[in-house]
Amino acid sequence: MSTGSDPPLRATRPPRVVAWGHAQARLQHDMIGVGDLHDDTSYGRLLVRSLMHAQISLSLMCLAIALTVTASIPVLAAVYPEVIRFRLLGLPLTALVLGGGIYPVLLAIGWFYHHQAGKLEARFLELVDPAERNRHDA
Amino acid sequence: MMPNGPAAAAIALVTLLTVTLGARGLRIARTPADFLVASREVPSAINAAAISGEYLSAASFLGIAGLVFAQGLGALWYAVGYLGGYLVLLLLVAAPLRRFGAYTIPDFASGRLESLTLRRTATVLVLVIGWFYLIPQLTGAGITIQFVLGTPYWVGVVILGLVVSGNIAMGGMKGVTFVQSFQYWLKLCAIAIPALVLLGIAGPGTARNLSPDREAIFTHRTLVHVSDNISFTPSRPIRVTVTGVLDRRRMRHQPVQLTVGRHQADAGTDLSFSAGTPVPLRISLVSAHAPSWDSPLVTAGTDGAHPLVATYGLIIATFFGAIGLPHILVRFYTNRNGPSARRTTMIVLILLSGFYVFPALLGVLSRLRAPQLYLTGDTNSVVLALPTQLLPGKAGELLAALVAAGAFAAFLSTSSGLLVSVAGALSHDVLGGSTRAFRLCALVAGGVAMVVALPLDRYSLTVLVGWAFAIAASSFCPLIVLGIWWRNLTWIGAMAGLVAGGGACCLAIVATMLGAATRGWGAVLLGQPAIWTVPLAFCTMIVISLLTRQALPSNVEQMLQRMHLPEALMQRIHSR
Repeated sequence: MSTGSDPPLRATRPPRVVAWGHAQARLQHDMIGVGDLHDDTSYGRLLVRSLMHAQISLSLMCLAIALTVTASIPVLAAVYPEVIRFRLLGLPLTALVLGGGIYPVLLAIGWFYHHQAGKLEARFLELVDPAERNRHDA
Repeated sequence: MMPNGPAAAAIALVTLLTVTLGARGLRIARTPADFLVASREVPSAINAAAISGEYLSAASFLGIAGLVFAQGLGALWYAVGYLGGYLVLLLLVAAPLRRFGAYTIPDFASGRLESLTLRRTATVLVLVIGWFYLIPQLTGAGITIQFVLGTPYWVGVVILGLVVSGNIAMGGMKGVTFVQSFQYWLKLCAIAIPALVLLGIAGPGTARNLSPDREAIFTHRTLVHVSDNISFTPSRPIRVTVTGVLDRRRMRHQPVQLTVGRHQADAGTDLSFSAGTPVPLRISLVSAHAPSWDSPLVTAGTDGAHPLVATYGLIIATFFGAIGLPHILVRFYTNRNGPSARRTTMIVLILLSGFYVFPALLGVLSRLRAPQLYLTGDTNSVVLALPTQLLPGKAGELLAALVAAGAFAAFLSTSSGLLVSVAGALSHDVLGGSTRAFRLCALVAGGVAMVVALPLDRYSLTVLVGWAFAIAASSFCPLIVLGIWWRNLTWIGAMAGLVAGGGACCLAIVATMLGAATRGWGAVLLGQPAIWTVPLAFCTMIVISLLTRQALPSNVEQMLQRMHLPEALMQRIHSR
């Protein structure tokens, strides 16, 4: 981390360009996000907080789904013992669910998270650094 | 047990291969950093296979199928939990942990919270968890070598201990990364091929042994040859024809009525059971047996007390334990960046779920087709015994050889990863971190594990590993999760949580091993302690941190930026 020991750069920052040319507009946006993160301003902190909040919400939602699916199995078995007596292809339901049936569910949750987390980061990059978006568009 | 030549050869081959590749690494590894992390940039697919190879230990390879056979389908929760652990790891820590860039848990603790005291506490816990996990690997080796060669149990323990600590002391992980990824595929083949072949042989037929609330029966007239002295008990009076020594009486082709209670058959005795006879249980398997084999609740570690609570205890331990295992974090360091860490973890999930289908299959197959193993087998060696039980002759011997080789690959790869972590922590934090210190520590740590593993062969490998997960879930998991997501964590809070959660969990497990409580709430809260120690650790960390706000590290914001901002953005920020 280089920012810790650096003197605050706010004073030396070039004045913002308010002309509406395409290149300058891009420059102006660039200043808001990246500059604030660099200088650790309150706006920069807010940006980090919002990203963390979005990420942890996504994670906790996926975790809640995974734990609900998993945790409902023992409770179902305890409350309705006749459910586990059910057989498919001669095999007990327990063997089918715990021996393989639950894996695709867990994988699907992981897959969904993997993609959403990537998207969140891409959106955040665009928000903070529109130059990124233009680069992608080109 | 006759020595199995092909199996011995296969084990020797796997070991030789590992040592050769490790020695190749010797020439490249120069600095301690080289020893600890092979290289920063390993392709995701190879890295994922290496992670899986390292993760699939004795517990997964031998333990789960054996425990399913011995205690019932509820033991499959171990497999689900080991996979779920990786899902939680993906959801909560994969990318931020990679971005933080620490390669050991003590590094993370001291880097994030700026405290040397916390670092030392974390080092102690790395040693505790590492050893707890290392011991079942050595135990597994002892059991496998015993099974294959008929040597005493300690021989295998010493062989694996010497090979692994010697190999690590010479080569570090430089060669091991690629060995590990190779070993995943070896393990998959070594369990999938026998499982599918045996499934084909078993074919369609009666599924009577899968009926609920019923003990296993001999599905056809079965002659059981007893190769060691065994004690067993029938669940109800049965008839058996005996040739040999039963209950100290020599008999020849003599029908006997066996009452419920302890009986002993000497080595060399032949017991003949007619179809439909309930299989008598070997004494070592009695207490662990679930009331109904198809129940989806856990009885392991708690002697069947309060199975619902035990199941939740195990789910919490395994789902949250993987994050805190000392040999896992180092593998994330070898990813290029946060997104590639997530991608690697996703591939790991796929690879692991592909593997875990087979232990389940083997467990069910052995119940269905080889119920005589309830009489002659042992929880940990069911997988090794199954091929020759179902497929007599050379073919069965070859399959058994493949299983033994896979099992040995499992012990080698997991214990290598663990020993690197333990030796790394020990040398870095106690001896100053030179390469010589690392080598010395690898040998010492391996030696200690060998000695401790010697009296532990009566425990299920899976249960021992499950306990290592419980300790990790009650200590490092809250440290890492809160360290990544909560800006108010202080080193004092983290310390208090590690000591309270990790300490309580260790004490509970030691109490269980000493037999402090064998029934009721005592047994379940001590035998599957994660259900209360994990919340205890989280709560302690949060409450004490809020009470010690003055100890907040000064650079929290920079730490959070580093862990959460995408790398591309960090580069632009730095380049300003």
